[in-house]
Amino acid sequence: MRKSHPIRRVVLATAATVSGVVLMLSLKPASDPNAEAAGGTAPQQSAAAQESPQGGAAGAASGTVDGDVVQTQYGKVQVRLTVSNGKITKSDAVQAPKGGTSDQKTALAVPKLNQEAVAQQSAQIDTVSGATYTSTGYKKSLQSAIDKMKASAGSSQGSGSSQGSGTAQGSGSSQGSGGASQAKTVTGKLVQTQYGPVQVRITVSNGKITKADAVQAPKGGTSDQKTALAVPKLNQEAVAAGSANIDSVSGASYTSTGYKQSLQSALDQAGG
Amino acid sequence: MTTTLAGGRAARRQTMRRIRPRRSPATALLLAVGAGAVGVLWLWWHNTPSIADNNGKILNAGRITGLLAGYLMALVVLQMARVPALERRVGSDRVARWHAMSGRYTLSLIVAHVFLTMWGYALQAGKSLGDIVQQTIDSINQLPDMGKAAIGAGLFVLIGLTSIAPVRRRLPYDTWYHVHLLTYAAVFLTFWHQITTGNDFAVEPMAKTFWYALYGIVTALVVWYRILTPIRLNLRHRMRVEAVIEETPGIVSVLIGGRKLHRMGAEAGQFFRWRFLAPGMRFSSHPYSLSAAPRPDVLRITVKAIGDHSARLRELTPGTRVWAEGPYGAMTAQRRSRGKVLLVAGGVGITPMRALFETLPGASGDITLLYRANTTQDLALWDELAAIADDRGARLMYAVNSPDGERPDISAERLKQKLPDIDKHDVFMCGPAGFAQTVYEALRGAGVPARRIHHESFEM
Repeated sequence: MRKSHPIRRVVLATAATVSGVVLMLSLKPASDPNAEAAGGTAPQQSAAAQESPQGGAAGAASGTVDGDVVQTQYGKVQVRLTVSNGKITKSDAVQAPKGGTSDQKTALAVPKLNQEAVAQQSAQIDTVSGATYTSTGYKKSLQSAIDKMKASAGSSQGSGSSQGSGTAQGSGSSQGSGGASQAKTVTGKLVQTQYGPVQVRITVSNGKITKADAVQAPKGGTSDQKTALAVPKLNQEAVAAGSANIDSVSGASYTSTGYKQSLQSALDQAGG
Repeated sequence: MTTTLAGGRAARRQTMRRIRPRRSPATALLLAVGAGAVGVLWLWWHNTPSIADNNGKILNAGRITGLLAGYLMALVVLQMARVPALERRVGSDRVARWHAMSGRYTLSLIVAHVFLTMWGYALQAGKSLGDIVQQTIDSINQLPDMGKAAIGAGLFVLIGLTSIAPVRRRLPYDTWYHVHLLTYAAVFLTFWHQITTGNDFAVEPMAKTFWYALYGIVTALVVWYRILTPIRLNLRHRMRVEAVIEETPGIVSVLIGGRKLHRMGAEAGQFFRWRFLAPGMRFSSHPYSLSAAPRPDVLRITVKAIGDHSARLRELTPGTRVWAEGPYGAMTAQRRSRGKVLLVAGGVGITPMRALFETLPGASGDITLLYRANTTQDLALWDELAAIADDRGARLMYAVNSPDGERPDISAERLKQKLPDIDKHDVFMCGPAGFAQTVYEALRGAGVPARRIHHESFEM
């Protein structure tokens, strides 16, 4: 039965909401502290070089093909395919939206889209929910890459093949000197990251990494998701690169850094 | 002329009950709602590592307002789900005011959300604020579930417009009510875009689970308490109009018969929402208080003919089927904390007071009723009140205008003079808003603490 003051209430509610929202927005840093290491530059390094040891042996119609740059609402998307024997063995986004929430969406969506592209061998892949624009751009770029791949399939090894096998050989042979003929498993040191411990186990055969695994990785909260996204990628990269010189997974840079450190220590043990 | 409903056995038994005050759960509920809002904001905070530029700030403001709107929208619906804890413990009137307030706030958030998000998208696409309409159309075409969301948002705006006081006053109640029912459709339509395009739900599967749970629970409560409970109640009690009695010029009582009516759990001071299945009346229900303690075979409401609906009550024929929902209302004996009670009624506000006067526990001299009306002719139910006062040794006073039309003096001094220990009383009050305000101030002036003044008001 207290007197009500509708105008005062409206003014108060508006002021409280606006100042609350502005406060929360202004408390957020301008760049993601977690993503600094990755900085979105990761995909720009050519994936082809690292990938070729696998594809190199196969020969024909192999290499990398870049799709068109597609402009989306959130930024550019460009897909690079690694092709072996006319099949997509790897799909990567050389460019993807960055900044603000886009970092996160990219981190979530791109690995999924990459996987799908390899699995489907076509641009008929599902849109990732919550990252519709990126997905659409990705599919367009993917389609153009596939078109190029088909066009060049018969005649030439494609523009990508020139990048193909060169550099990768180097990193592979550096391990080769170890000379042990049978496979062995080496576990790297435990690296403590901000989100939890990371520990890598590799299987080395003939001086080459045949398998990489994370025995430990951050768990709980968003870490589960990040781990699920990043670790398989890192494992793949480790095998492909044959070294700890691998790309950080954007959006999971702490885990990536920890992974690389542990991987390096494992390689040191295997080599020495 | 008058049919006296006083002196029922059930009523007499109630007068012997012990006084057991129950606290309203309002504070606890408001704290829970606040905690939920903090949780929603935390979700945003947790999922947003950084904001790069002004464009990001606009988009994130859109996200925050969207998340809050999505959360509050569920609660706004929940407030009207007729959950007994809200209707009977917090009080239907208070919950209705909460509903109106939070509804307005949520609508503002929705509008802000749409504007900010579309503005942010336009900037992101390299366009300017001027292209916001085109951006909205593009987003509707390209993003999943955005078409539905746009229709839903349009409905919300329509519902909001019909609820602005001047518009609502001009609209027939039924029109306003049926437009308001579209809220359910609007909530349904806007729900899906939250899940499919909402960043926080894509990143955080737990958030998605919580959101489904929140909306699922609210839906279940609405279905249970707004649909199934009334169906069960009416199938069990099968109410019909038994008689319509003119109490005073313009005030009619409707007697409603049915089976085992005492099993409905209604208490004195409560009301039902009544729907009379007669031509022109079946499409809307109206809240009327019980004007006598419920009896196994009959309930009574007493209504002043002010609106279309209440005027038509006079023409009800015996045997007309009645659909009731309730009981609702928290102004019952549970509110009381003291031995002594003052009941204050203004005009037709006598109805719940009349029921309480009969049933409130208390010894002789504990209960006082002050009845305000324009003239002695307007003192509806007076004979009954006098009989009850006699029967249980309660005091009955009335205040009417003097023959020259002057209003009676209801002031702190006058109240104290009539009731020297007024500050030791619990006060129950029912009447028009202006009257209630005057009495409230007089009571406070006479030393009655605010927490012991119990009042129900449906003025928004």
